[in-house]
Amino acid sequence: MIQLSHVSKSFGNGKNAVEDISLEIADGEIMVLLGTSGCGKTTTLRMINRLLEPSAGDIFVNGKNINAIPATDLRKGIGYVLQFHGLFPHYTVMENISTVPELLGWNKDKIKARCMELMEKLKLPPDTFAAEYPAALSGGQQQRVGLARALAADPPVLLMDEPFGALDPLTRTTVRKEFKSLDELHTKTVVLVTHDIEEAVELGDRICLMNEGRIQQLGAPADLLFQPANDFVRHFFDGQRLHLELSTLKIKDIWATLPDTRLPQAYQEIAATESCWNALAALSKQALIASWDNEVKAITGDGIMNGLHTFKKQ
Amino acid sequence: MEPQIGFFSFIHQESGKLLQQTITHTGLTFISVLLAIAIGLPLGILISRRQRLSGIVLGIAGVLQTIPSIALLGFMIPLLGIGAKPAIVALFLYALLPIIRNTYTGILGVDSAITEAATGMGMSTRQLLYKVQLPLAMPVILAGIRTATVINVGVATLAAYIAAGGLGEFIFGGIALNNTNMILAGAIPAALLAILFDWLIGLLQHMKSGRSRWRLYVFPAIILILSSFYLLPFEGHSKLKAGFTPEFMGRRDGNIGLKSVYGIRLQPLVISDMIMYKAAAQKTVDIISGSSTDGRAKAYDLVVLEDDKHIFPPYYAAPIVREETLSQFPELAPTLNLLAGTINDSIMTALNYQVDYLKFSPEKVAADFLHNQGLLQPARNGNKGTIRIGCKIFGDGYILANMYKMLIEGHTDLAVSTKLGLGGTKICFDALNNNQLDLYPEYSGTGLLAILQAPRSVTDSMIADKNKVYDYVSREFDSRYHIKWLPPIGFNNTYALMMRRNQATALHIRSISDLARYLEN
Repeated sequence: MIQLSHVSKSFGNGKNAVEDISLEIADGEIMVLLGTSGCGKTTTLRMINRLLEPSAGDIFVNGKNINAIPATDLRKGIGYVLQFHGLFPHYTVMENISTVPELLGWNKDKIKARCMELMEKLKLPPDTFAAEYPAALSGGQQQRVGLARALAADPPVLLMDEPFGALDPLTRTTVRKEFKSLDELHTKTVVLVTHDIEEAVELGDRICLMNEGRIQQLGAPADLLFQPANDFVRHFFDGQRLHLELSTLKIKDIWATLPDTRLPQAYQEIAATESCWNALAALSKQALIASWDNEVKAITGDGIMNGLHTFKKQ
Repeated sequence: MEPQIGFFSFIHQESGKLLQQTITHTGLTFISVLLAIAIGLPLGILISRRQRLSGIVLGIAGVLQTIPSIALLGFMIPLLGIGAKPAIVALFLYALLPIIRNTYTGILGVDSAITEAATGMGMSTRQLLYKVQLPLAMPVILAGIRTATVINVGVATLAAYIAAGGLGEFIFGGIALNNTNMILAGAIPAALLAILFDWLIGLLQHMKSGRSRWRLYVFPAIILILSSFYLLPFEGHSKLKAGFTPEFMGRRDGNIGLKSVYGIRLQPLVISDMIMYKAAAQKTVDIISGSSTDGRAKAYDLVVLEDDKHIFPPYYAAPIVREETLSQFPELAPTLNLLAGTINDSIMTALNYQVDYLKFSPEKVAADFLHNQGLLQPARNGNKGTIRIGCKIFGDGYILANMYKMLIEGHTDLAVSTKLGLGGTKICFDALNNNQLDLYPEYSGTGLLAILQAPRSVTDSMIADKNKVYDYVSREFDSRYHIKWLPPIGFNNTYALMMRRNQATALHIRSISDLARYLEN
């Protein structure tokens, strides 16, 4: 779907901001570009919709070299969400969401129907919000409008530049959950830039960890955590390693190592596809059981921690 | 001059003229602002995209802004003549900087996240401009237009100097005629216009951004309508076009006398003395209110029409001096009197010709004359005291003031400081009366009519007799102001109607009565 081939970008200060990056993002995949400030992740993102032109290399979207497509046409087919949402302060919420459909020349009824649909899905009731100006909205609401605006013309590709970065931690978690559960996204190819490790692990199908303009490792979150390619990758996650590992690991992944103990008297059942972290969180309230492979087992803290150790030794 | 009347009676009496001047003023202001928007807005947009150009464009506009307004109007005359055109161009140039600069800063001030979002969503440069940058920069751009408008209301008062009309006609007429009501009748409406336009544009500027789209259409419409005011025809058509100074317009020994005594009804352009002669030579106007010894009359071959019904009183020039100064420095009066009786009409005209047309400096002309008369002595650089000499802003004054300076410096131990080119009788006389000047050359007729504002019965009884006028003003100045008229210098620089010689000959006009007859037929 999206392919970067030996892409470099220099801003003319003798040092490449992005150095020989090649990666492929499959249809419907959420690819997270992760790294610290100045690692080149945003530069990489902005080259995909030609806000920046690569100094070397080629970028293909749907198999077409993006240089062969007029920039404005390319961009109308790619949703774009920014950290500081970039809503138009002189447009209402409705007008903001209509921007790209207007540019594409949709008829009025179709635009209106589409706006209503998106506002409903993003928990922005049209009666309350359609005629409001962005300044009257909370940060979380503004970010949802920004997302709706990017999704309005139903583009197959979505670029997101630190979309939750400007929100407070509580709002960020809520908006992120809503984002994850949004059916609109399940069919889209998403490239998401973030420096938030937890966000990357939670949202990414795959993570591309970058440093100093180069890819350090590209893979599923569990790959980066359990099979780091180099010291940079290993140390990058150290601060939150336990939490991240438990979040990544599913109960089913450690099923074999869980002991066959007696089931507790009173219990709650948890799905075996849930993460170990969520299981631990639920354990703090009451005893748990899970079933997998026609077996039912009790889930305990000891069991989970033993499972993690065994998993890492393999 | 009639006895002084109250301000409101003056307004009432002149309401027709006031309305006409206000409308002309509004038109001048907005037509130039409109042009400045038409040029400045695109330029501002251009330099916001090509920032390398911004320095040079803003620099040029800034330099234009620093040219003194009266000088800018002066530069325009050789290029565009007199009247509306040069005034509009000059006002346009003044309005440019605030509009260009605010457009530029307004557009650059739009949050980069917003322009990036707009670009990222696929807007073309043009769509970005019209949908995002201009609407968001609009309050700042309107602030620029607001500044430009207020500046132009002020500068447009100067347009009266070059026959473009507006409220400056009253202001300059009032200064020249020592008529406070007339000054206020121009200055107050001008100030009110500035406040009104400032307030109106301020309303638009602070309107909620969301409801702002209509103003994109309404605002230009309003400006267009106000601009069109300038095109309203006020000037009647007569066979000959007259251009009179603001001072002449308001004097009984001027346009008022032409109307009442000769029955001449012209609709004259109001024009500054500085450019009137040239305008006559260039056939922009046919009849002007010159002064009889002006060198430019000779230079441009203009003839003086005979004042056969005697409306112009004698204007004999003499130095007028504070009595305090005369008694403090007894040697001053004899020194000043060295010049008495030495300069007749034709000598004065010749001296003015050297300055006005041959472009010699007044200092050189004064020194040459004194040298030929055997009066020039090297300066003694004395320090006994300082005499402050003033003069009005035209030829005679500069030459005479320089002669007095050289005489005082050469014949006494006094030093001299000069304040030359003061903007009219009122300014000169008030300075003298308030002890900011010690002396300046004045004319007997001006003393009679403009300063003393003698009642009509008095002036009518003496208007044809130069000695009676001189005696009357000497006596009255002495008793009212303690200011002394020294003996006259010799020449009579009276008002005179002038025409181009070949036109006057072709139309057989020799006197003002001939002119009246020609205009009637």
